[in-house]
Amino acid sequence: MNRREFMQCAALLVSGVAATRNSLALSEEQKHYLAKANYNRTPADYFNEAQRRTVAAVAETIMPATDTPGAIDAGVPGFIENMVQDWLNKAERGIFDQGLAELMASTQRSYGKSFEMLEPAQQRDCLEALESAASDSAWYDFGNTQRVFVSDAPFICQMKELTIWGFFTSETGATQVLRYEAMPMTFDGNRELGPDDSSWAGNPF
Amino acid sequence: MIQSENYDFDAIVVGSGISGGWAAKELTEKGLKVLVLERGRDITPGLDYYGEHAPDWKLPYQGKKPRELYENEYPIQSHGYALNEGNRQFWNNDKDNPYVFDAEKPFYWMRADVVGGRSLIWGRQTYRWCEQDFTANATDGHGIPWPIGYCDLAPWYSHVEQFAGISGEALGLDELPDSEFLKPMEMHALEKTIQGRLRKKAPHVHMTIGRVAILSEDHNGRAACHYCGPCDRGCSTGSYFSSHSATLPAARATGNLTLKANAVVERLEYDAQGGRVSAVHVIDSQTGERSAFRARLYFLCASTVGSTQILMNSRSEAFPDGLGNRSGALGHYMMDHVYGVGITGIFYDDMDRYWFGNRPNGTYIPRFRNLGDQDDDAGFLRGYGYQGAAMRMDWKTGFNKRGFGADLKESLRKPGPWVFHLAGFGEVLPQYANRMYLDAKKVDRFGIPQVGFSCQWGDNERMIRDDMLEQGEALMKAAGAVFTVKQGEMGEPGLGIHEMGTARMGDDPTQSVVNAHNQVHGAPNVFVTDGACMTSSSCVNPSLTYMALTARACDYAVKQLAQGRL
Repeated sequence: MNRREFMQCAALLVSGVAATRNSLALSEEQKHYLAKANYNRTPADYFNEAQRRTVAAVAETIMPATDTPGAIDAGVPGFIENMVQDWLNKAERGIFDQGLAELMASTQRSYGKSFEMLEPAQQRDCLEALESAASDSAWYDFGNTQRVFVSDAPFICQMKELTIWGFFTSETGATQVLRYEAMPMTFDGNRELGPDDSSWAGNPF
Repeated sequence: MIQSENYDFDAIVVGSGISGGWAAKELTEKGLKVLVLERGRDITPGLDYYGEHAPDWKLPYQGKKPRELYENEYPIQSHGYALNEGNRQFWNNDKDNPYVFDAEKPFYWMRADVVGGRSLIWGRQTYRWCEQDFTANATDGHGIPWPIGYCDLAPWYSHVEQFAGISGEALGLDELPDSEFLKPMEMHALEKTIQGRLRKKAPHVHMTIGRVAILSEDHNGRAACHYCGPCDRGCSTGSYFSSHSATLPAARATGNLTLKANAVVERLEYDAQGGRVSAVHVIDSQTGERSAFRARLYFLCASTVGSTQILMNSRSEAFPDGLGNRSGALGHYMMDHVYGVGITGIFYDDMDRYWFGNRPNGTYIPRFRNLGDQDDDAGFLRGYGYQGAAMRMDWKTGFNKRGFGADLKESLRKPGPWVFHLAGFGEVLPQYANRMYLDAKKVDRFGIPQVGFSCQWGDNERMIRDDMLEQGEALMKAAGAVFTVKQGEMGEPGLGIHEMGTARMGDDPTQSVVNAHNQVHGAPNVFVTDGACMTSSSCVNPSLTYMALTARACDYAVKQLAQGRL
């Protein structure tokens, strides 16, 4: 592909602005590869319906819809179910299962309701209590984000990590909450940052 | 040029990475019929760059690394910084192609397994060696003297730079000679701020934009960078130098190139009567079929470890310890760079400045210690440079904070303070004890003896590490950091992915494996032009030097051939 052809492709991308402003024109081969490789395409089937409702409500409490989309809009609950099913190891999955069961039981005990039926302030109280109890976990250590996973992290930390990761790497999170630019075509190292501007999605290099 | 029916090709090049691609280009352009043998599978440039431009949400687990797969099949490659799901297809599968790993003295052999080799996934930083790099061994007595100097290589640096396209800023420094540059990439706002402060408060250092084999402007029919970011996934516009974007297309254009993928070289066959290598023995990795090819010239460009493995496995009566190994130096004097040591500073400057576009490059502070003579306060020999880059913290560096809800979302959405990182790259001394070997008891799936390593860093490397941290801390202060974090643990040998040595260059055949023209002592039609030939390591990224050495050796070999000396 020479530069002219590339520019034409880039122009095509941009001219599709109205319909799919941020979607990428992937080649057939890329699509084929990604369809094969994208483990997230297979819907997970790990939670029962009650667990699914609670996990979605917890994720939404962590990253709620505001004037921009929230965790549920971004498909985070499905991401979490998939990660718990396929990505966590057995011990981590055990921590998750137990933490979720305890949360579901404790809201019934305290409020006589399941988590997703609570008022937002009550939901927040529940999670803050969990965070407070987990506060000595290494998960909270300063700078402890450049690693793959903290294997003994408590349930609340697992939920936060999976929710936040799933949210900002989703198409919705990356394009509607952060900013995403697939084809910058230039580098400007001195771009003004407005007080309300979001970070760029993805990795700078 | 082929005149005798005994030859299948004029030249055979083993390997298609940075060095092999250059050998293919230079030799075919000089009219030779060339066969390139590559053990990895073939790929189609562009079409097969599956991860290119794939956003996070298209990647497996949205970019969370698949731990189980990496532990089972990529335990070595995943230990380094560079493997990810956007580029995994280029890397060696450690289960399929293992080596003898000694957990007590670990050496991480980072390998590609495709046509183009590591030129697809390299870091692209390109720096010329300086005169002091070539005289260091003779001066301080570690290793043997280089038989060549900067003046021998300078025209060849120019030759390869003009073709490859190197962007950077000319500084006129003896310690970091300028390349033939395309326009430099721009600095981040904070990098310019730091550069200004260092000029005043640390005038002994020079901070410049990284010199990089990425096109900042259209060049030789290749398009300028479009700043998408992760070069290592492949580039369909050919904007960074790789065998696929640059050298192999040029070689193909001559009509003189034959490239065989899935071709594992087992050994070279030495003809004692003729005093020459007469054939290369190859195993097809897919069918197991064995074949042999004959040529006038053989270029080993299979990577430091790969080329030496072939020499070691090419035993004969004349060379019982491996081809060209009358010195006993083969496999020894393995080097890499002091790597993994760095300082990160947090800055509250330029908070209203950000960037547009993903610059696949950083900044560089060239060596400033022991220039010319030893510094009075330096207890170590040689020196180091710093690669660096600024970026703003974001959700990925802050997702473990406390809190929930709209406030958390808002704080993670916006850029945090700037961070600037200095990553030291230090020169490693050549040591006899640091070596690779063949393990006769362990063979790979082709029946070829596996390689093993015994390498450890010594006192000089540790002293360089200490000085990197001390000087780096001072530079961060001068730069205005409000807070710094040191990373002082050195990466194990191999993790710098600058492994070099093991078939070192020297005039004396009793001490070295190749001569000043990369020609194997005792086997004059064999040339080793990749990292294996290195006699010392400098502290700058080595690939540009392999390119220049390869082009120079090709020129020499073809002239010798024309004069009937080969």
